[in-house]
Amino acid sequence: MAITSLALSRLLGSRVADASGQFIGRVREVALRPQEDPNRVSGLVIKTREGERFLTPSMIQIEEDSELRASLPLSEWPAANTLDDFFLLERDLLDQQIIDVHGRKVVRVNDVDLHPEKANGGVSLKIAEVDVGLRGAVRRLLKGVAPSAAVEAVVQKLKPRVIPWEFVDLIETDPARRVKLRIDHERLSQLHPADIADIVEELAPAEREAVFETLDEEVAAEALEEIDLDIQVSIVESLDSDRAADIVEEMDPDAAADLLDQLPGETSEEILEEMEPQEREEVEDLLEHGDKTAAGRMTTEYLSAAPETTAEQSIELLRNFEGGVESVATIYLVDSEGRLSGSVPLQRIVLAPPTQKISELAAKPLVFVRENDQQKKVVEVMEKYNLYTLAVVDDEQHLKGIITADDVITLLREQV
Amino acid sequence: MEKHTAHRRRLPFARTWRFRLLAFFAVFGPGFITANVDNDVGGILTYSQAGAKFGYALLWTLIPITIALIVVQEMAARMGAVTGKGLSDLIREEFGLRMTVFTMLILGLADFGNIAAEFAGLASGMGIFGASKYIVVPIGAALVWFVVVQGTYRPVEKILIFFSLIYFTYIASAFAAHPDWRAAVQNTFVPVLNKSSEYLVMLVGIVGTTITPWMQFYLQASIVEKGIGKKEYALSKWDVVLGCIVTDVVAFFIVVACAATLYITGQHDIGDASEAAVALRPLVGQFASLLFAVGLVNAALLSAAILPLATAYNICEGLGVESGVNKRFSEAKVFYWLYTALIVGGAGIVLLPRIPLIKIILFSQVLNGVLIPFVLIFMLKLINRADLMGEYKNSITANVIAWSTSVTMIILTAAMLWTTYAYS
Repeated sequence: MAITSLALSRLLGSRVADASGQFIGRVREVALRPQEDPNRVSGLVIKTREGERFLTPSMIQIEEDSELRASLPLSEWPAANTLDDFFLLERDLLDQQIIDVHGRKVVRVNDVDLHPEKANGGVSLKIAEVDVGLRGAVRRLLKGVAPSAAVEAVVQKLKPRVIPWEFVDLIETDPARRVKLRIDHERLSQLHPADIADIVEELAPAEREAVFETLDEEVAAEALEEIDLDIQVSIVESLDSDRAADIVEEMDPDAAADLLDQLPGETSEEILEEMEPQEREEVEDLLEHGDKTAAGRMTTEYLSAAPETTAEQSIELLRNFEGGVESVATIYLVDSEGRLSGSVPLQRIVLAPPTQKISELAAKPLVFVRENDQQKKVVEVMEKYNLYTLAVVDDEQHLKGIITADDVITLLREQV
Repeated sequence: MEKHTAHRRRLPFARTWRFRLLAFFAVFGPGFITANVDNDVGGILTYSQAGAKFGYALLWTLIPITIALIVVQEMAARMGAVTGKGLSDLIREEFGLRMTVFTMLILGLADFGNIAAEFAGLASGMGIFGASKYIVVPIGAALVWFVVVQGTYRPVEKILIFFSLIYFTYIASAFAAHPDWRAAVQNTFVPVLNKSSEYLVMLVGIVGTTITPWMQFYLQASIVEKGIGKKEYALSKWDVVLGCIVTDVVAFFIVVACAATLYITGQHDIGDASEAAVALRPLVGQFASLLFAVGLVNAALLSAAILPLATAYNICEGLGVESGVNKRFSEAKVFYWLYTALIVGGAGIVLLPRIPLIKIILFSQVLNGVLIPFVLIFMLKLINRADLMGEYKNSITANVIAWSTSVTMIILTAAMLWTTYAYS
């Protein structure tokens, strides 16, 4: 068998003969059972005069001109009864949008390249790649207009743009089918959250919802933070409140507060109800403040220690810290009542002897802002003292949270 | 727990009437803007020509056209809100590649005609100031190209849309011209039928200039871009309806103003923009030409900026190639070439020596009318699919109106072609 690659668009509509070589019908669909084998075609739906039949690849031979010959007589071809359990390449993949996780963008499928291999008496059809370029488009436009050999001669001259099947992430908006066919976003979740955010912004609302229903909570939370706030709101509104709460819990408290602040009152109440008490309290504290103030911008995940802590002990603190990496640049010194007394840059702690008290390493002067200071002041202070993080205190000097450099970058970008 | 209750108290604030009013303004826009762009060069001159040539006789068409326009635009907006996808995306996903290419050819052709019409409008508007089209059109084309590619288009668009309100002066001018209101009102409600090919061409042109193929794609895309979903749609609908009514109220007064000035003085064929400007004379006297020229040039620039961009977006979206002015040239070659070709081609036609500018404009609107049924039929097929639209499927009334519009346009086109052949 000379054929090494077979385009889905050629296979669809091609003639199928029985064992004696008599013409019986044409290929109508190519079916996949991703829950069993996501890479191999599980069967072909054949339209015959006596109704639709379902042939597995092992029952057929592929001849020249991509015509098919079945090894069994028509009477033994199984009927194609329920196709609900299948992913159908013509209906569900051709012309639809997929996520190219390698190129990190959303693309539309023009054709699918299948690789036939000889296997146990018939063939095995492996899905090799999806064609998203001109080659697939031209092949489909010319199909039936010119002889297939001539069409192939033309399209082989075009530069292909293909995505290997292992880099394809499918979007299924029907939750029941998603579960049945085991379509998840395992591949997508390997990407950087910021790339996931860019991709999600390009999708339609139902597709965004589908992605956020299945994405791992932590990944979903990180990606959600990077998405345009209006779209964040519409995504979270589309989710169940417990699913939304699971994701919001994993978000940075300040990002979560910004989001909840934009949601309609009832929705944000429902999500808060579902959240773990500790996370809920943090977010609620932030919600008290206007979003243009220091307190509205701060995160409550920060490192603090007593003044007598040693360098060695504070590194141990660092190891056990669960907050984001943007918060670890500074350890804040607080007294037994939580009042801020100093800030110690991480690099000084790392370079100090293990037994040295970190209070001796504190930066001078002690810089902080008050909860109700305007965000403009925050930017000025951080810029003036070249800070990575800035402490926010209340009227009695209690440390309430910190503002990190990435928040300031976001803030400045909003103003451009 | 105390903090929790404080939070509870804070939230109801956001749900006052003021918040609701804000919600309307947040969704307000796409329908109204589309309607304003609809009264472009082609619209103004087609309505003017209708009034000049047939007096009040075509006014009766405006009521059915308005109803059809509202139904069709509402369908486009609803599809955008429910699916969150553009019309070309939906055609691609539901009807496959071939149908998409076919639709895109139709859209490309109709839009190309409109783009040429915009540049013709620019040339004839500036002609009133005595400027040569060989200077004005290339400068205008280059200007539009740069403003859009540089991404500085949004603020410019706001200014242009503001100036498109100039056409509201037709309302005042129509009153100042002391038209025969009895005839106008009678003709608005009682159809006058006429089997001449000129009348039929005018009829197709009026429908074509009001319900255009590009508007359906443009409005649906704007709704999607604005993030209007099912929930906001109830409000957004009124924006669409209001926009449609405004479009046709302006159209009504243009026809009346032209009937009361050009038609009664026997000026039945508008040869250039200065002749069309006469309809504004009752209001502003000798400044009529100036006002008309500013309005026409403004409308031309507004649509010349929007149309090539929207066309290139839609075609690329349907074909699944990269698009958008935020992409670099190397990333979105097809998009940039298409966009450039539409502008260069549209402007190029206008630069042909001795080409009749007004005829190009009127012809492009007739082309819109001939091609609109194709787009409408696709829209109807899509909007009646339960798996796509669910409970937002079309009502029977909307189906009847939209189907009748399509069928009427097909019959009118056939009749127009037949009479044009038979009598020529």
